[in-house]
Amino acid sequence: MSQSNGNHDLFENLRLELRRGCLSLAVLSQLRTERYGYTLRKALAEQGLDIDEGTLYPLLRRLESQGLLTSVWREEEKRNKRFYRLSPEGKLMLKQLGAEWQRINASLKEIL
Amino acid sequence: MELLDRYLQAVEFWLPKRQRQDIIAELSEDLRSQIEDKESELGRKLTDAEVEEILNRCGSPMTVALRYRPQQFLIGPALFPIYRFVLGVLLIGCIVPRILIWLAFLLIDPVHRGYLHMENLWATVVFFVFFTTLAFAIFERSGVKLELNTWNPRKLPPLRDPNRISRFGALTEIAMAVIFNIWFAGAFWPQSTDLGKIGLHRLGLGGVEVTLAPVWRFFFWSLLLVAAANVALAAMNLFRPYWTVRRATLRLLFDAAGAGLICWLLKAQALVGIAAPGLSAAKALVLTNFINLWMAKMLPWAIVVMVVILCVDGYRILRLRGICGGGNSLEPVVKQVSNLMVSGR
Repeated sequence: MSQSNGNHDLFENLRLELRRGCLSLAVLSQLRTERYGYTLRKALAEQGLDIDEGTLYPLLRRLESQGLLTSVWREEEKRNKRFYRLSPEGKLMLKQLGAEWQRINASLKEIL
Repeated sequence: MELLDRYLQAVEFWLPKRQRQDIIAELSEDLRSQIEDKESELGRKLTDAEVEEILNRCGSPMTVALRYRPQQFLIGPALFPIYRFVLGVLLIGCIVPRILIWLAFLLIDPVHRGYLHMENLWATVVFFVFFTTLAFAIFERSGVKLELNTWNPRKLPPLRDPNRISRFGALTEIAMAVIFNIWFAGAFWPQSTDLGKIGLHRLGLGGVEVTLAPVWRFFFWSLLLVAAANVALAAMNLFRPYWTVRRATLRLLFDAAGAGLICWLLKAQALVGIAAPGLSAAKALVLTNFINLWMAKMLPWAIVVMVVILCVDGYRILRLRGICGGGNSLEPVVKQVSNLMVSGR
């Protein structure tokens, strides 16, 4: 029982580790067009990548502080929302990360 | 929406002050959007239980808030292994000798074990842990960078071989032992006494005359013999610089003999009298008793030192026999080199 729990915890840790880098890439790719947090989460979920609020918003802030995103508060449907989009540095980074992802993906396809 | 407001208030408490309003506004917007979506899907207001479910999925207020903070630590991953090593060495160096001495007092001189209060030990441990942690936390905060990337494989320490005997060590041992033996023999050579009491010995030590009990003769010759045996062993180690089981056993026996002799002497009340210019007989008697008493009180300390030495000797034998200390992957190479050196090829 405890070994099964241990395996599950280990799997969860490794899964989160695997997801962490992928999420940054996915978020950057979705912000080619301007979106606010909730619609961004829905867009990612529709494409099979669920991400909870507690993970997404800190990630958005980190990417913004790294200069990869810009944000602006704007009223929409009578509520203030923060809209994000890629900065010029973000566009360049997305291109580089996308190429790297393709390389890793191709290698892993061969390996697995 | 009371539940949601209470949730946001709880998250706000743990957030960094400068970003509080901004983060709460964004999180609030997200959660309200989720609730509205769900309400339009169901065609009614959500119950408290349904709101609770959404908030539960979001995570506990503290967990959510902490994700917005940069990763914080008192001692970072780069310094932590060094911190752990330093703390371990300090604690072992502080705790083990004190416990051994306390045990020795408990077994040999229980009346005086009160000299070593265990409460003081805990205070010392807390002191070491606190100041070591503080020092490393200051290093961490001051941004001290370890030069981990500027290393050179050629500057790494040579391979450790616990069975190899350092030639310098063997030479030093011989030199120290010879000097000690010459001094010991010259200074403490048993002389006949003029006190008319058979077996007593008188030594002249720079104007001070020391009279020793008959046991001194036995101690003197025995210790000299053990010291000579140790010199012979060290000389053999100089020419064959790898421990063998036989030589390690001899070292254990010689050390055990020396330890036994010294412990026995401390208990033997060997000092009979002291005479010095200007020292009255009464004062000489007090001084003699005082020295004998303190020699006896030194016994537990001496035993601890001896036990440590004998443990090291014993561990060496066990290691050579392969009983503990792990398998030495270099053993075949070491043996081969040792044989070549011995045979002179």
